[in-house]
Amino acid sequence: MCNAARRAFSGVLLALLFTASAAAESAQDIVAGADRVRNPDKPWHVTVTTTAYTSGKPTDRNVFSVYAKIDPATRQFRDIVLYVDPPRDAGKMVLFRGTTLWFYDPASKDSIRIPPQEMIAGQASAGDLLVENLAVDYTATLLGDETIDDAERKTRDCWHLELKAANEAATYNRVEYWVEKTSHDPIKAKFFSDSGRQLKTLYYRKFAPSLDGIRPMQAIIIDAVDPTLVTTLDFSGGDYRDIPDFWFQRDYLPHVKAE
Amino acid sequence: MAESNPVVRLTNVARTYRAGRLEVPAVRGVSLAIPARRFTTVIGPSGSGKTTLLNLMGCLDRPTGGSVEIAGQDIGLLPDKLLSDFRAHTIGFIFQAFSLIPVLSAYENVEYPLLLTGMSATARRRATLDILEAVGLTGQQSQRPNELSGGQKQRVAIARALVKQPALVLADEPTANLDTVTGATIIALMRRMQTEAHTTFVFSTHDPQLIGHADEVYAIRDGILVDHKSEATP
Amino acid sequence: MMLRIAFRNILRNARRSTMTVLAIAVGVIALLVFGAYAQYDLYLLQTTAVERSGHLQVSRAGALDFGSGNPAIWGMGDHQAVMQLIAGDPVLAPMTAVLTPVQFLDGVAEYPPNKLSRTFFAAGYVPADLSRLKRWDEYGARDPNMSTRGLDPSDSSSGIMGLGFARLLGLCRRLHLRCQDPPANSPIHESAADISSLPSQDFSGLAETAVPAAGHGARATTIDLLSATASGAPNIVSMKIGRVEPQGSKEMDENYLQLNLAQAQQLVYGRGTHKVSAIILQLHRSEDTATGLARLKALIRQHRLPLEAHDYYEINSYYGQTEGFFNAVFSFIAVIMGVIVLFTVSNAMSMSVVERTDEIGTVRALGVRRGGIRRQFLLEGILIGLLGATLGVALAFAVTGLINISGMTWLPPGDINPIPLKLYLVGAPGLIVSVWAALIVAAALAALLPANRAARLPIVDALRHV
Repeated sequence: MCNAARRAFSGVLLALLFTASAAAESAQDIVAGADRVRNPDKPWHVTVTTTAYTSGKPTDRNVFSVYAKIDPATRQFRDIVLYVDPPRDAGKMVLFRGTTLWFYDPASKDSIRIPPQEMIAGQASAGDLLVENLAVDYTATLLGDETIDDAERKTRDCWHLELKAANEAATYNRVEYWVEKTSHDPIKAKFFSDSGRQLKTLYYRKFAPSLDGIRPMQAIIIDAVDPTLVTTLDFSGGDYRDIPDFWFQRDYLPHVKAE
Repeated sequence: MAESNPVVRLTNVARTYRAGRLEVPAVRGVSLAIPARRFTTVIGPSGSGKTTLLNLMGCLDRPTGGSVEIAGQDIGLLPDKLLSDFRAHTIGFIFQAFSLIPVLSAYENVEYPLLLTGMSATARRRATLDILEAVGLTGQQSQRPNELSGGQKQRVAIARALVKQPALVLADEPTANLDTVTGATIIALMRRMQTEAHTTFVFSTHDPQLIGHADEVYAIRDGILVDHKSEATP
Repeated sequence: MMLRIAFRNILRNARRSTMTVLAIAVGVIALLVFGAYAQYDLYLLQTTAVERSGHLQVSRAGALDFGSGNPAIWGMGDHQAVMQLIAGDPVLAPMTAVLTPVQFLDGVAEYPPNKLSRTFFAAGYVPADLSRLKRWDEYGARDPNMSTRGLDPSDSSSGIMGLGFARLLGLCRRLHLRCQDPPANSPIHESAADISSLPSQDFSGLAETAVPAAGHGARATTIDLLSATASGAPNIVSMKIGRVEPQGSKEMDENYLQLNLAQAQQLVYGRGTHKVSAIILQLHRSEDTATGLARLKALIRQHRLPLEAHDYYEINSYYGQTEGFFNAVFSFIAVIMGVIVLFTVSNAMSMSVVERTDEIGTVRALGVRRGGIRRQFLLEGILIGLLGATLGVALAFAVTGLINISGMTWLPPGDINPIPLKLYLVGAPGLIVSVWAALIVAAALAALLPANRAARLPIVDALRHV
């Protein structure tokens, strides 16, 4: 066989191999991959700055210190969110554990459990999207390929997936997910309620090195019910921490200090 | 002809009233026996105790001493209920101020005592009409006391006292509120009724006419009997 | 004769007797009119409660105590089977007018075009059944301002809201309602952070989703209802405003929605099994309530169902409290009237005794016993009581009759629209007889003391008294 033909043949073989290996990756694996891009697997800490916008104008801003660690039993994250700024709220804490949420107020030195019903309105539910491992509680189906614009209006070559709630712990009934091929960067997601209405649109952008990976440094959440309401989450100062399990208990909250 | 069983027998009867810390003896140790069918009068000045004596005879009051026997019944033995019944059957009263029940007609006033004797309605009607006729008031039977003259009212009272044919009729100054002429008429009526009904009349009075008609006269002063005159029975 | 004397003596002193009789009559009127008013108000409350939630409710055991605010967890499973059981029961079936499932829920309602929202509580009904429920009117006491129309059976997203609710969501102009929308510049949330230095952002193009936002474009106006399912998942449905109508009390009018059962279940249970909060039974007649409740409890025990049954009395504590309140006020009025009657009659009888002292003496002399005297005066007291009470009853009928045809209206506590004032005297024989009898007894008691005094008069003293 001549050289050109051999090169063409290996090229085709290589291409075939690539496609085969790409096809061999299941929808669930893709989602798991996107999860890994978002969250490291060792316990970590990050500073989150949330800015709320109405029709593009900033209306509120909060700074949080977030500690996250996987619970091996549920394979989901547990988080402690510490309020840092504004000073009025400094010291308040929220503990997320599965579907349970505890709120601690240093002024009264007491913590109360917030039932899910209390969280439905407004921007409060931004937290539930932060560190959820979608592959754990949702069943993924690959719908196809789609090229979409990301938040910076750059085109991305993505897998278009549909995620259905696999158990009661999944907050949303259905999620539409766009994950960039090759990099597994999560680009965009749409979240739907049990009744079928879309509740939120989420974009990830500003991918940069952090905690042993290239991770999105900003998330943009757009309220689908009232699209003029937008919240941006900026992640900074991420580092690994040795977080003991007993931190994630309601009684320990008074002892957790911002560092 | 003398009756052996007196209708009224008082034995050493006394009645003392207590006014605060004062004791007022109205009647002191009176004893008398009034035979049946006698037109008897008790005379005396005011305050002499004649009203009290009549009250005791009429069983309207109980003696503080001695015994009172009416128609053979010692009234000291009777409790109040039975005493009332006794009066209802045995004693008739005629009062100075007539004392008719204002809301009842002449007929009804006369009929009233009969209701206490348990008479049947027909018998009552008969007796009432008869006695009204006897006193001459048949025409006035539906009239109320305030529509009758003094004389007429006293006739009603007499009829009422006699309708039940009592053994004893007591009258306290029956003519005191009547003019002389009417008074005379009433006295005549009473005398006639007494004879016809064969009952005993005892009355107190100042009226000389009445005294003149009496078969027996008892005089009382300061609570004791001071005189007794008796007319022979014709 | 005694009756004759008693009657004529009453007539003899006409003025005094009239005053006394009137005093008693006034007492009777006061009690009967108030009693009729109280009865009417209670019928109103009962009608409202029965129209909305029937006479009897079957729900999961513990739901009454713990289900409030947590409808998803306290739902009743397999309600069709329970309904069939009730529908086939020989005791319950004939007494039941409506048998229907209902779902209670709460959440936040939003009208995004003007960014107004408010919390709500709601009940989801089967559309045809809601209309039948609203027609119940055993006493003729239902509020004429409340309509009897139900939900639109052809559209499961159609719901009913109160006028106050529409007003608070700023829907007055949009729905052509007779009310004022809230002022345009509502206070904005004040941020505690320093946001003055933050730049504005341009997010256009990112929210490209053509979400059929509530309110825009649709021919019917819709609002969003947000709630959380049992598992904590946020859920949202679009309710089409089928009808806006007054809901009786201010609280209901501003916070209450009536939804289609299917939509309510969708919002509460989401992807889980769709249950219901309760099965309600509306009976033909309220007097069957006790029997019905006993039968329901027996059925639950017999089939060992994890359910509980309650009547409208237990569910609406307001009703029981109002009833207790009226009873207290009624008793209070009765005591006062009784005291007045006692004083008036006693006074009148005492005067009569004094005036007839010589007559008493005379009659005693004639042979009447002490007991006879007592009975005579007692009879006169009873007679006055009888006259006064009977007159009072007649006048009470006249007064209530006049008020009923006068077209007067009143505003019951908590209501927002005036309703005609109706006094229920005709249908309350128990009330009439007991008040009538009670005041006669009071008059008799009042006469007792003077009668005793008359009886005990010494004859001689009485005769002296001219």
